[in-house]
Amino acid sequence: MMSRTAAPLAFSLILLAAWQAIVMIFHIPEYLLPAPTAIAASVDLALAVSFLVTFIEALMGFLVASALAFAIATLFVRFHTLEEGLFPIAIAIKTTPIVAIAPLLVIWLGTGWWSKIVAAILICFFPVLVNTVKGLKAADLEYRELFETLGASQAQEFRKLRVPYCLPYLFSALKISSSLAVIGAIVGEFVGATQGLGYLIIISSAHLETATLFSAIIAAAFAGIAMFYVISFAEHRLIFWSSGEAE
Amino acid sequence: MNAIILTDRLGAAPLAPAKPILSIEDLNVRFGSVVAIESVSLTVRRGEFVSLLGPSGCGKSTLLKAVAHLVKPTGGRITRPYADLRTSFMFQKPLLLPWRTTLDNVLLPVEIQRGGSTVDAVDRRSALRMLDLVRLSEFADTYPHQLSGGMQQRAALARALMCDPDVLLLDEPFGALDELTRDVLNEEMIRIWQSKETRLSTVLMVTHSIPEAVTMSDRVVVMSIRPARVVEDVPVACARPRAPEDAEAGAIIRRIRAMVRSSR
Repeated sequence: MMSRTAAPLAFSLILLAAWQAIVMIFHIPEYLLPAPTAIAASVDLALAVSFLVTFIEALMGFLVASALAFAIATLFVRFHTLEEGLFPIAIAIKTTPIVAIAPLLVIWLGTGWWSKIVAAILICFFPVLVNTVKGLKAADLEYRELFETLGASQAQEFRKLRVPYCLPYLFSALKISSSLAVIGAIVGEFVGATQGLGYLIIISSAHLETATLFSAIIAAAFAGIAMFYVISFAEHRLIFWSSGEAE
Repeated sequence: MNAIILTDRLGAAPLAPAKPILSIEDLNVRFGSVVAIESVSLTVRRGEFVSLLGPSGCGKSTLLKAVAHLVKPTGGRITRPYADLRTSFMFQKPLLLPWRTTLDNVLLPVEIQRGGSTVDAVDRRSALRMLDLVRLSEFADTYPHQLSGGMQQRAALARALMCDPDVLLLDEPFGALDELTRDVLNEEMIRIWQSKETRLSTVLMVTHSIPEAVTMSDRVVVMSIRPARVVEDVPVACARPRAPEDAEAGAIIRRIRAMVRSSR
């Protein structure tokens, strides 16, 4: 355990030191490549607020998209015609780049929270839908026969068999979409916003405040990683019986 | 069809023929153009241990599934003279739910019957009793992936018994296990069938092992390859416990083996 965290930590420190040394030795101007110390110095309350704004937008989009996708997947599995009719539309939404839709969202929903939340929803929705549909159908025929011999109703089969069986599939989708949610929120902020990491990135790059730009980029990465680890943690606690190999 | 000689469970003097508990009359099952079962007639009486013997894929499992209402017959009838007859199906795979402990897996039939999660202390006690019966009570709180294949099948048997069945329908229940484990579990099966602790009286088992069928059953119903038909209904009247090495059982095994060979 010790060596597993020690080695990456040591290498990171070495890289940071090298970075710092190169910037100092070659006198690289800060607007091109700020030193790690300059980036650290740029961390302030404004960055923390921006982080929080983006994180909340991403989280909201992620939660709404997951709940919605799960509900629709349930309907798809229950009513096959619905799946046949709506699945191509879902694929169409998925194939449209979120960057292309984002300006429209800002026109419709304004520069506030909602355009970002909806961008996050759009980007998170599809992976969860596809995997949940797959997972809800994944229970083997023999398990369904077992439930049939026990006289289970459809609702009981769904609750006691299909949903738990689906959880590994659901979680592997949640892990994907949790990082995507941050991308959705930031793309939304790029197009039109007054706060958030995306806004901070646009503004600081326009002003050549590269140290702030770096800290905003790192914060964005951190938001994605934080979401991913929260989901991973929940997954390991919840799905102790599976190694999480379901895709 | 041969005359049916019923022995009692301990292998003593023959009893008077018991009442039929399941009657299969002229049963036909086809899947599209494939005929799986063709005009099979069979009567199972209360207290009997009957084996359906045939090569893999001959349709004997389909017959068992038809009895369990998992497969719809395309012709003929399956009648159950007792209206309140309870059957329980045991599959070749344990089919335990991996997110439930052994005890909770055994409680599944009760939960489903109650239509909610209103399992009470009485249910828990009877589930523990079933686990005791299959000698698995130490593993009540263990998850399936921590159990060996044989133990998983014991848990599946406890779950099947939890429905409190009169008739147990066994679809090659220990077929996926190694031979040694399988022999032990077959003996356990006979012990549980003979014990008075459960309501279980009758067993209908699908197998492709001739020694297994002969050592366990009162009757061996030899079936032909697809479509499944009854080749012969062989009574096994020798005393229990039996071993394939016994002279009497050995003779029946050889007879059935010859029968299977010539029916091909």
